[in-house]
This record gives sequence, structure tokens and C-alpha cells, in this order.
Amino acid sequence: MGYLTTHFRVVGALLVREMATRFGSKPGGYVWALLDPAAHILLMTVIFQAIARAPALGTSFALFFATGYIAFQFYQAMTGYLNAAVKANKALLSYPNVAPIDTIVARFVLQMGTTSLVAFIVLGTIVAIMRVDTNIHWPSILEAIGLACLFGLGVAMVNCVLFLRYPLYEQVFGIVNRPLFLISGVFFLPDSIPAPYRDLVLINPLVHIIMGFRKGFYPEYRAIGLDMDYLYGIAFLTLFAGMLVFTLSRKTLRNE
Amino acid sequence: MIRFEQATKYARTKGIKKPIIEDASLTLNRGKSVGLLGRNGAGKSTLLRLIAGAIKLDKGRIIRRGKISWPLGFAGSFQPSMTGEQNVRFVARIYGVDTEQLIGYVKDFAELGPFFKAPVGTYSSGMKARLAFGLSMGVNFDYYLVDEITAVGDSNFRKKCQAVFETKLQESDIIMVSHSTGTIRDYCDCGVVLEKGKMTYYENVEDAIRAHDKNMKES
Repeated sequence: MGYLTTHFRVVGALLVREMATRFGSKPGGYVWALLDPAAHILLMTVIFQAIARAPALGTSFALFFATGYIAFQFYQAMTGYLNAAVKANKALLSYPNVAPIDTIVARFVLQMGTTSLVAFIVLGTIVAIMRVDTNIHWPSILEAIGLACLFGLGVAMVNCVLFLRYPLYEQVFGIVNRPLFLISGVFFLPDSIPAPYRDLVLINPLVHIIMGFRKGFYPEYRAIGLDMDYLYGIAFLTLFAGMLVFTLSRKTLRNE
Repeated sequence: MIRFEQATKYARTKGIKKPIIEDASLTLNRGKSVGLLGRNGAGKSTLLRLIAGAIKLDKGRIIRRGKISWPLGFAGSFQPSMTGEQNVRFVARIYGVDTEQLIGYVKDFAELGPFFKAPVGTYSSGMKARLAFGLSMGVNFDYYLVDEITAVGDSNFRKKCQAVFETKLQESDIIMVSHSTGTIRDYCDCGVVLEKGKMTYYENVEDAIRAHDKNMKES
């Protein structure tokens, strides 16, 4: 019981610390954590709307793009922020009370909340301004978000350890991770890709996350190829691997 | 009470494996302040971190009765991007003590003036030491683990340390690492000499200092 309350206290303290210092030096503070990605997504949406007028789904390109990009961000922003969770709080780990996992938990909670708010702002703005008719199916959306976050958490926990052990891997991960945005089905629907390539695209679990997320906004979307069993399998396998590596590498995480 | 039971810890860096302590058993009782002596790189700081529980033993165990501070040194456990005040708040939260009270105490003690609200990364080592020292003294522990902290700072700071320690020592004990045998003599009753993975306990601090000096001459 004592252990648990200490962990809660520490996670709470780390949450406050993260919020205060992430954008602390700029006026406005944490508001930027919301405004920055929201403005980014809205801007991208406007640009892509100018290029491609007809969306693959529905009538609004803005909604089509934003649903894809936000689902992607639930994963991408999570790993981007969590990869450095232990490194960024290294000094604070010299307090015996603070465990490496606490830094992960604090950042996970914060990032999930932040991206959710961003999603709310962006999608709310699009629906309100463009008067898009939507028929929202919450279970699909929440399921996709949850899996995106857990998958991101698993990847980041592995990365936290491997980045410390093999600095070269950090470079490689950066290179591989960058074009992920292009092949994850943010702009296109994997349903429309011809047969041999479609199976390749569908290996990427993020494709399934985005398809699942979009299903929540487009009830008519059939999402051919969406395999929730595969997605659950990959997400929990990654999370398990992350926890295993993280637990086995307690020494690396503390000492370095 | 702090008891080592067949405690073993190796330091590993880039393939070099060096024992800090090997199969060491030792009991440190309440009511006595301990000076930790040993040559450069013997692992005194690592030993303090082990006692604090910030790092784990490879083998054996350490039994701790009482509240033990984090190892308090001038290099600091501070997050450089956070201000002095934010660092103090953080510690208050993780140890569950009253935030405002601790901030008031540390502000008074450390005398950082406007720097209290500046990032710790901008501090000099003396300022960090004053903050670290004030912060730990503001939280009540049974054992204070001190790593060379009195080595920095001016005579004014040392006087302050001495005064606070004297009041603290009535209820708490210190486990101190210092290269200055004078400092050890001032604060400690007994001593532990760490040499080649072995901890030797001396009831009288003078004996510990003598043994340490002898080790230094031999090498």
C-alpha cells in the first residue's frame, strides 16, 4: 500500500514537472502543447485540400485527412515523447523514490490527454466550420485510440532501453520512422490498392489503427482488410516486449 | 539501523568489471554518524547510492530501518531545466511533505535571491550545493547521506552547515563521504574504510582515518 501511494505521488509530481517545463519558458506554457499540433494539422489539412479535392471517403477532404492524421498522431506523438522519457528525467532518478517506470507513466498519461484534446479541437473545428454531416460511432474511435496508445507505449518502452544501449539504433529508428506517415494510409485507403501491394501495406499495424479510427466517422466505410485480431495481437505483443525489456534493463535505465 | 547482508556490487563500464563491495556484511547502528573513507574511484559514491536504494545490489541485500535521504552531493539530483523552486516543489511532492513550508525553508537557507526562480542549469556549483543542502535539511530523515557537499561553498556556508547539522544530529545520523579527513573528524563518530571491495568498520573514527592514511601510503 505504501509503495502504491508513493508511485501515485511520484507520477503526480512528474506530471506537473512535465507540464511546467515542456513549454515552460514560453509565454502561454502548456497551451502550446495543444496549439502546436492543432495548428499543424489544420494547416496540413488546408494545404492538402488545395491539392486533392476529392476525398477517398465522404465529401470533405478536410475530415478525411484529419481523421487519418490524428489517428496516426496518437501513435507518433506518443512514441516521440515517450522515447526520451527516461533520458529527460535522468537527474530525477537519483531520488530513490522515483523509478524509471514512473517517468513513462507520467508522460503516457499526459500525452494521451494532450492528443485527445488536440483531436477534439481539430475535429470539432472541422465539423463545426465545414458543416460536415457525421454519424459518429464512439466504440470504434475509442478502440483505435486505445490500441494506438498502447502500441506506442510498447514501442517507446523498447526504445527507451535500446536508445541507451545502442546509440546507432536511435539513428536507424529515426530514419525508418520518418516515412511511416506516407505509408500508413493517412492520404489513401488501403482498400483501393491492388492485390500484392495491399498485403504489404497491411503489415503495418498503423494502417489498421487509421482504418479503425475512420470507421468511427464514416459508418458506410467497409474497411476491407481491417484485421482487429491482428492489431490487438501486435499491440499487446509489443507492449509485453516493452515491459519485459524495461524490467530486465532496470540497471541500464538507472545507472547511465 | 542499516545492515548489509552478503552484499555484492560490481561496477561495469565498457567491459571493465570492478568490485565495489564483495560479499560484505556490516551493521550500522542508529545514533552514530559514519564517515566513509576510501581512495578515488573506490566506489564511495556508489555505496551511498546503494544505501539510498537508488541502485540495486548484484547479490545479497541491504536492510534499512528508518527514513533515508537521497545521496546529497553538489553535482546534484536537480533537473537542470527546472528552476530551483520547481525542483524543491518536486521533492516536496515525492516525499509527501508540505510544499509551501519546504519552499520557505529552502529559500531562507539557500539565500539564492532571484536565482531561486532561475533554471538550476544556470547555477554555480556553490549555489547548487546550498540548494541541495537546504532542500534535504528541510525534509526530516533518520539518515542523511552526504557526498562531499561541504567541500564546496565558502566559510559562511560551512558555518551554516555545521549549525544545521548540530541540531539535526540530535535525532538523525549522517553517513558522509569526504576526502577531507578534517571534515570526517568534525562530524563522524565512527568510520568505514572501503578498499578493494572490502568494507572495514572502525568503532572510533580516528582508527578509520589512520587505516585510510596507511592504505594511501601503501599504494
